[in-house]
Amino acid sequence: MKVLSTTCIGAMSILLSTAALADGHLDTMSAEDLLPLAEEEGTVTVYSFTSRIGRVEAAFEEAYPGIDLQGFDISSTEQIARLRAEAQAGVTNADVIYISDTPVVLTELLETGIIGPYVPPRIADRVPAEFQSPLLAQRLSTKVLMYNEEANPNGAPVSNLWELTTDEWNGRVIMVDPLQRGDYLDLMTEIVLRSDQMAATYEELFGEAIDLGGMATAGEKFIADLFANDLILVSSTDDVNAAVGRLGQDNPPVGFTSYSDRRDNEEEGWALQVANDVVPSPGIIFPAIVALADEPNNPAAARLVIDFLMGDESETGGPGLAPFYVAGDYVTRTDIPPHPDAVPLDDFNAWRLQPAETATIRADVGDLVLTLQ
Amino acid sequence: MADAAMSGPGRRIYFRQGTVLKLVVLAILVALIVLPLLRTVLFTLQSETVTAWSDVLTGRLSTNLFYKPLGNTLIIGVIVSAFCVLIGGFLAWLVVMTNVPFRKTIGVMATLPFMIPSFAAALAWGTLFRNDRVGGQIGWLQGMGADIPDWLAWGMVPTLIVLTLHYFSLAFTIIAAALATVNSDLVEAAQIAGAKGGKILMGIILPVTTPALVAAGSLCFAGAVSNFATPALLGLPVRMQTLSTRLFGMIEVGQVSRGYVIGILLVLISGAFLWAGNRIVSGRRSYATITGKGGRAKRFDLRASRWPLFLVAVLVLMAATVVPVIVLIASSFAPSSADLFANWTLHYWIGESSPDFAQGIPGIIHNADIVRALLVTLALGCAVAVTGMTVGLLTSYTVARYREGTLSAAITQISFLPLLVPGIAFGAAYIAYLGAPIGPFPALYGTFALLVIAGTAYLLPFSVQTGRAVIQQVGGELEESARITGAGFLRRLVSITVPLAVRGLAAGGLLVFVKIIRDLSLVVLLFTPTMPVLSVVAYRYASEGFAQFANAITVIILMISIGATLIANALQTKSQPWLKN
Repeated sequence: MKVLSTTCIGAMSILLSTAALADGHLDTMSAEDLLPLAEEEGTVTVYSFTSRIGRVEAAFEEAYPGIDLQGFDISSTEQIARLRAEAQAGVTNADVIYISDTPVVLTELLETGIIGPYVPPRIADRVPAEFQSPLLAQRLSTKVLMYNEEANPNGAPVSNLWELTTDEWNGRVIMVDPLQRGDYLDLMTEIVLRSDQMAATYEELFGEAIDLGGMATAGEKFIADLFANDLILVSSTDDVNAAVGRLGQDNPPVGFTSYSDRRDNEEEGWALQVANDVVPSPGIIFPAIVALADEPNNPAAARLVIDFLMGDESETGGPGLAPFYVAGDYVTRTDIPPHPDAVPLDDFNAWRLQPAETATIRADVGDLVLTLQ
Repeated sequence: MADAAMSGPGRRIYFRQGTVLKLVVLAILVALIVLPLLRTVLFTLQSETVTAWSDVLTGRLSTNLFYKPLGNTLIIGVIVSAFCVLIGGFLAWLVVMTNVPFRKTIGVMATLPFMIPSFAAALAWGTLFRNDRVGGQIGWLQGMGADIPDWLAWGMVPTLIVLTLHYFSLAFTIIAAALATVNSDLVEAAQIAGAKGGKILMGIILPVTTPALVAAGSLCFAGAVSNFATPALLGLPVRMQTLSTRLFGMIEVGQVSRGYVIGILLVLISGAFLWAGNRIVSGRRSYATITGKGGRAKRFDLRASRWPLFLVAVLVLMAATVVPVIVLIASSFAPSSADLFANWTLHYWIGESSPDFAQGIPGIIHNADIVRALLVTLALGCAVAVTGMTVGLLTSYTVARYREGTLSAAITQISFLPLLVPGIAFGAAYIAYLGAPIGPFPALYGTFALLVIAGTAYLLPFSVQTGRAVIQQVGGELEESARITGAGFLRRLVSITVPLAVRGLAAGGLLVFVKIIRDLSLVVLLFTPTMPVLSVVAYRYASEGFAQFANAITVIILMISIGATLIANALQTKSQPWLKN
């Protein structure tokens, strides 16, 4: 028994070291060259923060019938907890990690060596450098102010974020608890980071300079006022979507949610629309990352999945990108035309999340939110 | 000490045997429960995490982080457990001791609410009582024109009601099992002596069922204070936090050490309450009610109040079982949750994958992930029921037979501990504990064994506590006679204690099975893609907005639970005299 296990460990370490050697080589291989190796591996496991992985799975298995893609829909926050636990246990379950929550991902997963970068050579020249490093972004996702366009046919009922702190919006602003979903804490953090703009738009609306009333910054003052104005917290973005978007409401609330959830308007009976013109900004836009596990069990198939997720050479990226080629998601590949129904990225006023900066004060903003509820 | 003083040779063996048994049980419990929790405590004492203690207890955040949630938690625990014992006790009394109409039906229905996951009940509450505070969809009642105030739609009141309707059936199960074993000699003697019903209730039944009442109250208290789903769903829109929602939130945003500190404090507070309850029980001398003799007493004749009391029972049971089940089933057919009773489709059950429906997710019978999760879940339920009841029997036997001494007290306290640890914290502790290799043992992360071990430990209070109320009542005299005739410990356990306590054990096994297959909080972190369980799969669908799949899976969980109950009942008919006419 002991002899056997020693042999096993020996064999495993040899296998692991050859895999590690091969990895460097794999990074430069094309999809065609990866395919036979990937077929030999036969299976690949993906952790994804979006349920759309189900459609990716079907499309991938149609394109590569010899490889079984196991897609798992796990929220970013939970992926981080899971990947850390798995690393601690010395277990690698996932080959590919598809995740948002970059401020935490960079510090907790990348710096700790739990995940690593991979950019398919095929598209390397068609993704801006800022979206290749430190990790490859497949697309940009959002948390922005949305309103009900059925009840407000002439456009957003709000033009300045500070209106949300006035009596008119008392008890009528809704979002997910920032202490339960990292994306929303990132949004609050960004508002604090943009305090100068918040101060300027305060003066614009109320005609006087902002009185911080004990708060350190205009951003913090805004968050405090928003909470004091009976802000409603729910536990998932779909609750926000339903509250804001449901058809047939006389006086619907507004709320912070994903712009791309507008794609479900028809199926769910919603009328969600983004309040893009609100000043200083409707919210945040942040990258959705694709990365490799540190030592994936299926290194070739894992790279093939990332290659697939970045879209093929057809005009809108083909089946791999189809689930993400929707209004409100911004694909990072420069050669893919923007979705015709969405506000073009250049005109989209959401703040671009700066993961490193956000990471520095994120915990403090979390504490602030904590004192308010 | 008393044992040692009686220094006959037989006595000395008795003393030693008790000690050996206690040490074995203690070792098992320490390995299952104390070590993982200890790791959690040690985690918060590292130099970089120790400030979490001052943040939680004294810093500027402490009011919101700890003291306010603490207040809410205690209100929930006290009120829910009080009402659970009242309602559960009332129903148990009706079913076991009176001639109320449809006793059997009431008896079966009263065990059902516990099998409905509490998050499903909370969702069903929202479907009915939701007002327009959160905008979006309003509940059915508001839709009918009723004006539902905030206090009835959100926050403390609905949380109390939903949790009471969930946990009272736990109290019912425990109290009914105890009532059914009340020695008929006592009751008959009282009746012959001319005592009235009320006098018999206060003078005989209440005193001898005290352990069951306290056990029921403690379990409901512990369940209510660590419940996460209900306060999270109903409390969040009015920003009501409990210690468990706070703990979850902290771990979710990566402030693990603060989360663990809150978890540890939650353990200590609930521990104090349960310790007090335990004192009440162990201060009394004997609760032996099943002895070698005795039959059934006559039932109380309710006379004119038969039907009014029946109506009260039916109202409670309808609210706790029928209504949520209808809502669950309806929403597994309705494509839009906005209109629950329109455009029904079977797609979520039997549909093939289609790109324009639910993002290509096939109906659950065509869904390989769900089928696999079903198999794993069933296997897990059976395995944990067996291991849980084995350890539970050993523990409850030891504590009941060798009640005195610090070791027994320690065993009792430790076996309670998991109750006070919110499932998600327990799961996290287990990953820290068995996730990495220990010496020669491999890491268990992602294995079936880890789920079984953690499930066994987590649900031990249920197996121990249910077994205990019954085992305490198995008269020591029978076992003693066997011991005098030379039967060994195992022989006595297998031939006397187990057969006499089999109802309690089966009930315990049943509770454990049902609890593990619909548990979410524990497995949500232990779950790995290779080892999926139904509740987590359902939760994922719910959180991604596919409520129909989630509800369809919940209906399956419900069916399995009900099936398990019915089978268990059938197996137990012999030992369920209270259901006989």
